[in-house]
Amino acid sequence: MTDSHTTTTVRDQTSALTDVDDPESAIDPVKQRVIGGSLVNVCDEMGHKLTRMSYSSIIRESEDFGCALLDERARQIAETDSTPLQMGPIPAYVSGVIELFEERGETFAEGDVILHNDPYYGASHAPDFAVVVPVFHDDDLTAFSVTTAHHLDVGADKPGTCIIDTVDAYSESVRLDALKIIESGTRNDTAWQLIEDNIRVPDMVMGDIEAQISAAQAGANRLQDLFDEFGHDTVKLAGQATMSYSERMLREEISELPDGTYSAEGYIDGYLDSDDESERDLLLAVDLEVDGSDIRVDLSRCAAQVDGRPINMPFEGTVVPAVLLVIRSTLLDTEEFELVPQNHGITRPVHVHAPEGSIVNPRFPAPTIARFGPGNRLADLTLKALADVVPEKTAAGIGNLKICTYSGVTDDDEYWVYMDITSGSYGARPTSDGLDATDTLYANTRNNPIEDIESHYPLRVNRYELREDAEGAGRQRGGIGAIREMEFQTPGRVSIEGEGSKYAPWGFDGGEDGTPGAVVVEDEIDESTPRSKMSNKEMDEGQYLRTVGPCGGGWGDPEERDPEAVRQDVLDDLISRERAERVYGVIVTDDLEVDEEATAERRR
Amino acid sequence: MKILGIDIGGTFTDLYLVDNVENEQTIHKVSTTPEDPSTGALTGITELCEATGTAPGAIDYVLHGTTIATNAVLESDGVETGMLTTENYRDITHIGRHQRPQNYSIQQEIPWQDDPLVERRHRKTVPERIVPPDGEVEVPLDEAAVEEAATELRADGVDAVAICFLFSYLEAEHEQRAREIVEAVHPDAYVTTSSSVHPQFREFERFTTTAMNAFIGPPVTDYMSRFKRKLADAGVDAELHIMQSNGGIATEELVAEKPVSLLFSGPAAGILGGKWRSGANTPDREANNTITLDVGGTSADIGIVADDEIVEANVRETEIGGYPVMIPMIDIETIGAGGGSIAYVDQGGAFRVGPRSAGAMPGPVCYDRGGTEPTVTDAHVTLGRIREEFFLGGEMRLDAGGAADAVEASLADPLEMDSVEAALGVLDIVNNNMANAIRSKTVQKGRDPGKFTLVAFGGAGPMHAADVARELGVERTLVPSNPGVLSAVGLSTTDLQYDYISTEFTLVADADHDEIQAAYGELVEQARTRLRADGIDATEAMTIEMTADCRYEGQGYELNIPVGADGSLDSLSTIRERFDRAHAAEFGHSFADNAVEIVNERVTGYGELPSSELVAVPEKAHDVERHALAEETVQFRVDGETESRQTPFYDRRDLRTGHVVDGPAIVGEKDSTIIVPPDFEGRVREYGDIELVHME
Repeated sequence: MTDSHTTTTVRDQTSALTDVDDPESAIDPVKQRVIGGSLVNVCDEMGHKLTRMSYSSIIRESEDFGCALLDERARQIAETDSTPLQMGPIPAYVSGVIELFEERGETFAEGDVILHNDPYYGASHAPDFAVVVPVFHDDDLTAFSVTTAHHLDVGADKPGTCIIDTVDAYSESVRLDALKIIESGTRNDTAWQLIEDNIRVPDMVMGDIEAQISAAQAGANRLQDLFDEFGHDTVKLAGQATMSYSERMLREEISELPDGTYSAEGYIDGYLDSDDESERDLLLAVDLEVDGSDIRVDLSRCAAQVDGRPINMPFEGTVVPAVLLVIRSTLLDTEEFELVPQNHGITRPVHVHAPEGSIVNPRFPAPTIARFGPGNRLADLTLKALADVVPEKTAAGIGNLKICTYSGVTDDDEYWVYMDITSGSYGARPTSDGLDATDTLYANTRNNPIEDIESHYPLRVNRYELREDAEGAGRQRGGIGAIREMEFQTPGRVSIEGEGSKYAPWGFDGGEDGTPGAVVVEDEIDESTPRSKMSNKEMDEGQYLRTVGPCGGGWGDPEERDPEAVRQDVLDDLISRERAERVYGVIVTDDLEVDEEATAERRR
Repeated sequence: MKILGIDIGGTFTDLYLVDNVENEQTIHKVSTTPEDPSTGALTGITELCEATGTAPGAIDYVLHGTTIATNAVLESDGVETGMLTTENYRDITHIGRHQRPQNYSIQQEIPWQDDPLVERRHRKTVPERIVPPDGEVEVPLDEAAVEEAATELRADGVDAVAICFLFSYLEAEHEQRAREIVEAVHPDAYVTTSSSVHPQFREFERFTTTAMNAFIGPPVTDYMSRFKRKLADAGVDAELHIMQSNGGIATEELVAEKPVSLLFSGPAAGILGGKWRSGANTPDREANNTITLDVGGTSADIGIVADDEIVEANVRETEIGGYPVMIPMIDIETIGAGGGSIAYVDQGGAFRVGPRSAGAMPGPVCYDRGGTEPTVTDAHVTLGRIREEFFLGGEMRLDAGGAADAVEASLADPLEMDSVEAALGVLDIVNNNMANAIRSKTVQKGRDPGKFTLVAFGGAGPMHAADVARELGVERTLVPSNPGVLSAVGLSTTDLQYDYISTEFTLVADADHDEIQAAYGELVEQARTRLRADGIDATEAMTIEMTADCRYEGQGYELNIPVGADGSLDSLSTIRERFDRAHAAEFGHSFADNAVEIVNERVTGYGELPSSELVAVPEKAHDVERHALAEETVQFRVDGETESRQTPFYDRRDLRTGHVVDGPAIVGEKDSTIIVPPDFEGRVREYGDIELVHME
């Protein structure tokens, strides 16, 4: 191992350089503003490069990637605005890399590029690769520039990454444990070849890794420019001041809440078609304690880990980001606190505990690749616990998502793999209806245009529309889920990693529950068989698969809903006149007007 | 040849009359009449004609920049709009890309769900389906269903109909046929199709753009016909030409078909003006590389000219009011930083400037119209940089004490700094915001801003020009004469411009040169026909540009590269190499082993209009010092330190070619103020532009 530095351990390299007690007072407020804005600008540039250079639609269209700058102690200073589930775990990835380096006696060197995906060392799950570029100043390690991205295929036992029956961490991907794919500027060709040989669609995935590297290196270079422009110590100080500001803002909001413990619990589908009871209807429970300006989240009541089923959630890479996302999005909702930056400061007042060996903190080598749905449900239950104490900042239960991998082999014996993220919906809010057919909570990706999918894969999107007569009724109604139907033009396979087909999104304060989602396979599985997962299922030419997104929960008594709002939904064919009367007590006439008198009578 | 430029802004309508024969240029300003902007414009035209002794009938061209389309979108002031779309896809414009605008918000709204351009009840589906790759008809158009839907929409009181079918960019036949049926059933409706608005893949963006086109179609066409009628009544018989977002001028008939092409009409004219002034000061053999910085009361608009070409936006990144719009347009970066931007200390104690603005009403504190929060303009006043007697020709009273008090109470006290530091801080922050916005269009795209000329205009641009230039390492900064009306001036420098596009996914390696040549041939013919119809007959006045949007196979973003000239396509190997080079320049990396895919074929036709001549300013007769009107104490930041400097004030009208104003100095004129910091000097150039040069 060559090392151009005199330090012998990574611990020496990551000692804090300019940590001060009160960074906000130590820096000129004008400089803090100026540098703070520039740091976000750098992250946005990284994101811009990554989307435009990347190959797979999961990165370039769905934006399932993250970019951030961290200090030498793996504290996030700034991030771009892609999906939270990619950015939240970045500090855990870097901490994992540091930990592995310490264990192995390795150190960082200028020109290194490190590839990492181990969920037991901070990764969110194996398909999300991090590219970590260390940044040096005067030979001292001072920062990290990091990109994360979801890869289309990572060398697991089946095509794609929506795999629901991996047995352990080794069956989920080619394992990348803090691997220097570029060492002091020299490419490790053996490592590249090994990765390439283990991936079904190497052109796309290797191209995407290159894009991640370019973006991370660009971030490192721009950070150096900022050091040159403002002085290294001042930039570091500005980073600390920004973190301190965000922390202070969150603490102020937490302090407003009455001390006490607020709880919520609910179930995930798990494997609804499994004969083994321990694999389905699994309990998740959140006990959230407010104590002064701190929040402690205890997850001790959650189900035990599921051995041999990949719905276990990596603690640092999935569970912690899920909880934090909800606390930030409610107490510091950007609709009201637009300018509070997302960084390490947000994490300081929040302490999450989960016992080892549980589904929310599994022991190695339990599989974790399909942790997405359970994690988003955990976020949903954190929201429910908060609804107990600050209802005005929350929403009713959300509709969870399904991630689908479509694949096949072409006439030229080449694999094609396409990944499609379906939408969920939001529960109703205290003063407004829920958002329809959107990604929820810790996911915020984009769908792929139908005109792009059909032009590049042997698939036809037969239908993409909102559901009707299925909304979670309430004074404010829940958001409405979408129906998406995919037909195979040539024989192929499909895998689905979903949640929310059995348990409906919860209603709040008298609002009705929403409606669960569904998975339907033409001629084989209909909506009466709750199903949210599917493993590499064979599909015939011309056969379709329909995914139905859940509808979010309602808020408040449906009979208190403004009759005019009910009529508007009738006009839009979202609910029938019959449902308007039965559920909302609103009589809509043949002329599609509200019969005020009959409605008052009905609602009495 | 007499050319009249009219730029209608929120507060003022600027007019600019050029007489190429007499070499005369006249500027006129009237108040904008918001209820019908054409009224104010006509008042201006009449006054301008009287003042210059011009017969209205002698005007050859009327060129107009307008915010009418922009306002209709932003103020949701369109008509009840209906949509016909493919059966089973009723909610494409509602679901969008299923992404939320904000990552960390539970209470947010999604613009296209909260305030839809077309409500679900007015989105009617009809059986039809076209499929890739060749646009084959899989399900024929159900004409009876179209007729029924159109009848329902008419009964529902819909005034405009957008026809949006999947894959119509491959085969427009269904949309065209549906259009005919709708027009027959509902002859009073404004009807538009997605294949005519922008035939490019990505259905949500295309359908939304088409819906927006329908939504604003009636108000924009009404406005155009009113404007035309008033011009005729006033005796102006020149044809009306309108500035489009792509920086070209189109006839009023074309604009009526595609009003969405006007969304950035106003700022586009300014960028043209900036490009023209920069070109006038660029040595003949050098390429024009320019950053335009147009700073008004609430926002700053930034545009880029690289190698003589105005940089166009990627259609995937353009939006207005949160809605995507898929229309060729100049790449304009707009940020909430202007003279009226409010400086404040937020609830967490951080120092912020903008994007909230005091606007025209109440305006900055110093305007004394009820504003209480300090703005960028108040910071300048507090530092002594704007003085009543030199501001807006001395016509407006300035409450300097009020400005200083507001800076002290709202900023200096809570931040525990003195007022001068707080005021300088406001400028540091707002200048940095502008510099970052410029970096996002230069450094982020592999362009070194140091090699560009910065042209600063708008009422507030010249106050920030030098500081922004210093921060970016820009060597040449220009403040054109009459910086407040440069958009109207820019109008007179433009050409006719029409864009044509065709989507076809083709791998360059597998492509047949003749087939692609033929596809371009069709587009080129459309462009030529259009230009001929506008009276551009001479070949030398007509330029045809051929480009392609290309990507490596599998990528999702395209880069636009030139692929030929005069209707003739370059060799496929040349195109391939050019794409590799473009990719390396933009992203610092190219993939020589990967296949290159052509996604869109594009043709742009330009028709040259007579251009504005440059008018030289007389040489200086006296030393510049003789023109100093006063000398006052002004605060500056010099090498990070705050310094009070005795600073001369000049009236720009007194300055002549060859004058060099040493910093610190302030040069006032009717519609703007130029700040020359201590480390700069201002040189008056041949055509009246003042060049700000950083002295090391």
